[in-house]
Order: sequence, then C-alpha cells, then structure tokens
Amino acid sequence: MTQYAILTDLSKCVGCLACSVACKVVNDVPLGSYWNKVLRVGPNPRTEGGQWPDVYMYFLTIQCQHCKEPECVKVCPTGATHKLEDGTVQVDKVKCIGCQFCVMACPYGVRYLNESERVVEKCTLCEQKIAQGELPQCVSQCGGRARWFGDVEAGIENFEGPGNNPDDRSYDGMSSYRVRLGDATGEGPDFPVKPYEDSEVHYLPDAGNKPSFMYILRGEKWQGGEN
Amino acid sequence: MELQWPLIVFTILVAWSAGLFASQCLVAIAGGAELSEKSGKSQMIAWVVSAVLLVAGGVAVLFHLEHWERIFNGFGNVTSGITQELVAIVVLVIVAIIYLAQMRRAENGVPGKAICVIGIVASIALVGIMAHSYLMAARPAWNSIAWVLYVLGNACVLGPCTMLLAMLAARDSGTSSARLIALVGSVLAVATAVAYAVVLQGAASSIVTIGYYSDPTMVAFPMTDVPSVFAGQSFLIWLGAVVVGTLVPLGCVLAARFKKDARSHAVLYALAVLGAVVGAVSMRVAFYTLGLGLFVF
Repeated sequence: MTQYAILTDLSKCVGCLACSVACKVVNDVPLGSYWNKVLRVGPNPRTEGGQWPDVYMYFLTIQCQHCKEPECVKVCPTGATHKLEDGTVQVDKVKCIGCQFCVMACPYGVRYLNESERVVEKCTLCEQKIAQGELPQCVSQCGGRARWFGDVEAGIENFEGPGNNPDDRSYDGMSSYRVRLGDATGEGPDFPVKPYEDSEVHYLPDAGNKPSFMYILRGEKWQGGEN
Repeated sequence: MELQWPLIVFTILVAWSAGLFASQCLVAIAGGAELSEKSGKSQMIAWVVSAVLLVAGGVAVLFHLEHWERIFNGFGNVTSGITQELVAIVVLVIVAIIYLAQMRRAENGVPGKAICVIGIVASIALVGIMAHSYLMAARPAWNSIAWVLYVLGNACVLGPCTMLLAMLAARDSGTSSARLIALVGSVLAVATAVAYAVVLQGAASSIVTIGYYSDPTMVAFPMTDVPSVFAGQSFLIWLGAVVVGTLVPLGCVLAARFKKDARSHAVLYALAVLGAVVGAVSMRVAFYTLGLGLFVF
C-alpha cells in the first residue's frame, strides 16, 4: 500500500518559512491559520547547564503527519475525514459537520476550524498536485532543499526533491525534474545531502497514530520524545 | 484548549438525565412495600424531568456543531464516539418510552422490574459511552478511565438527589430506598471525583515539550508553560469540583437523614443538586483548560 509522506532534513533547513508561505499561497489558507508551520526549537544546551556557544538550534516544520493509523479518521462521525489509497488523510468538506472532534483527537494541533466555511481543514499534502505527479508545494519551494516527498513503502532513499535539469532549462523541464534522495546523499561537494544514520531519522511523538512524516537531525539531540 | 460550553452543558445534562432515569428505575425496583399511588406520581415527575434534561442536552450539543443541518449526512462511522453516543441516546429514548407506557398501564404507576433493569443498564451505558468519547491519546489529561468514572459519579449524585426532590414534590413518603441510593451515589461521586482530580493533575508529565522554542509566524503568542497551566487549575479542581461538587452534596444527603420535615429535605437536596452542578461545571472547565495536546507548541 502506498503511504505518501514528507521527509524534512532539519540539518539543512534554514528556517526561511518558504514552505509556510508557498503552502498558504497555493492552498488559499486563511489569514492567521497555517497548514504548515515552522517552529524554532532552541537554543537548547548541548550539555546540561551549557551556555553559549555550547548550544544548538533547529527549525521544525509541523503539519498534518498523514498518519498510518490516524485518530482523526477514527473519531469523525460522518466519514468526512478519510484516508485515501495513497495514504494521505483528507477532509471532505461537504460531509464535515464541524464537530471538531478530529481537532481534539490530533496529537499535533495541525487541524483548525475554518471560520468562514465552518468546517475543519488542514494540510492535504497538495493532493491536487501529487495526484498528477507534481511535488507538494512546500517541497518544490523549499529554499534549502531540505524537504523530500515520496512513498514510505518504497523506502526513503526513493524520496524525491526538485532539481536542476541540465538538459532542459525550460519551465516545464525544470519543474518536472526530480532528484532522488538516495542519489543526492553522500560525502563531498557533489552531494547536497550528507549521510545520516537510521538513529538520526525521527518522528513526532506517536500516540498510537503512527505518524508517517520523518525528520533527519544529525549530531544533535532531538527534542520532543522518541518513538 | 478553548472551553466548549455546548459540550460542557451537554455532558452535564445527559449525566443528570440518565442518572435521574436510572434512579427512578432503582426506586421502582427497591421500593417494595413503600410503593404507593404517590410513587406513580413521583415516577411521572421524574420521567418528565429526565426527558426535559435530555432534550435540553440535545439542543445544547447542536450549538457545538458548525453544520448541524448536515447531521443526517452520515453518522455511519461506528468508531466515532459521537456516533456511539447517538446510538446510546436512541436506545435510552426507546427504553424510556417503553418505561412510560408501562407506567401508564400499571395500577400504581410503577412499571415492571424487567424494564427497570434495562433502564439502569441503558443509562449507565449512555453516560459511559458519552464520557468514553473523550478518551483520546492525543490529550493526556483526558485519556483516563477515571474520567468515565467521574462522569458516572456525576450521574450517581445528580440522579438520586433529583429523584428525592421529585418524590417530595409528589408527597411520596416512601423515600427510604431513594435516600440510601442518594447516600451511596454521593459517596461514589466523592471517590470518583478525587480519583480523577489526581489523574488530571498528574497528566502534566505526559505532555511532550520540546524545550525552548518559538513560532516565527506567531511571535506575539506566548509559549505554553505546561506546569503553570496545570497549577492554575488546582483551585477549580479541588475546591470547585471536589469540595463543592461532591463533599457538599454528600454533606447535604447526610444532613437530610437527621431531618424529619419535608421543607428541610427539599432545601438540602436542592443544595446537593446545585453543588453537584457547580462541581460538574468546574471539573469540565479544568478538563478543557488542561486538555492540551500530547505535543504542545
């Protein structure tokens, strides 16, 4: 079964907020609400009681984690919140009665009530784009090329990001070009992604919902619990 | 999270309604030789009050729904607590209607024991299912069976005390079984309230924090200080929910055992109901305030 997800390389994220802005533009997210937020985590001390410069910081992107066993789907009385065959969790706004139990059941606070439509909404993983082979907007617009999109079942080395097409400099040629995470990972200047250990791949806290999004953080302590 | 007043009102009124219906069923079973024609009148008053409370709760919950006109769209997802609640309410309404029919047909206005037992089971099921719908792993302060027992405790004190008021209104003197039910119910309410108060305050340690952080898109928003949020609710939980909500009703029920006149009984049982309602509101306010997500930011 397909399970689409995003992997964010926190060691590469520069906190430019391009993902948040791009998401709002392409999905018409209301003022004051976000489908994709960026937290600045830290500065936290590397060792207990540590002071600057013995501190570290990273940017953490928070959005719907398109969980494998989403609690929001279980609590929705009308089936408005549902899981598609591609593994993404979607909201059928016509069915939503606005009970907001999905908002309560989500461990990550990424759902909200759209005040004008009076229904709950959240990140769709740009279903309108990925269904036709494009990348989610937050991935294609990532300033640090820290975000990668793909099917978890196919392995994260097969996740894809935007790339520089050496053979076709047209808009279509550039926008359709893809770089595999596995091909981009290695030591040296030819590889934009540095190697990582399995222990450096993290998830947000799991309340039994099995979040599918992943975060790579190299050499620093992941804040916020482990699975 | 924000206070959800329609849900606060709904959960109190449903617990009250179901508790009252279960109490009248218990009185009908345990009344024995005490049952008289007056019992039929007190049963009818209790049934009407229970029905009014349930309808009022149903109206209150509609205010929570942003698109209540769509409720007939679905409700097909059986894993949803709301769907389960709806089923439990429909079952209780059917049982209550059968109960009413039997009341009307019985000579003394008291229905048969079988429907009473079914009524008690349906009432407990409704309150349990309603409270269970809030058990969510995403909200550590909510995710405890102690919450379900606490809401059942609400029903245990609100129901019998209201039943006693109904009996007083009907001048039904056969109150010994109802008074015993009220005493046991009040003790259960104290025990369940203390248990949930302890669980609620202890939930702070289950919330995942990520050390120092900020949200660059909402820089004016303060970060959630989990320990101070929990500490800020202690007063409401212990004084409001436990002392006023359960110890005052228990004191009133105990005091009523030493009084002979109906007027004193009416005042004490009314005070018990009022205290229980204030306590139930207090606990629910704390419940929502402390209903922080597992992953707080």
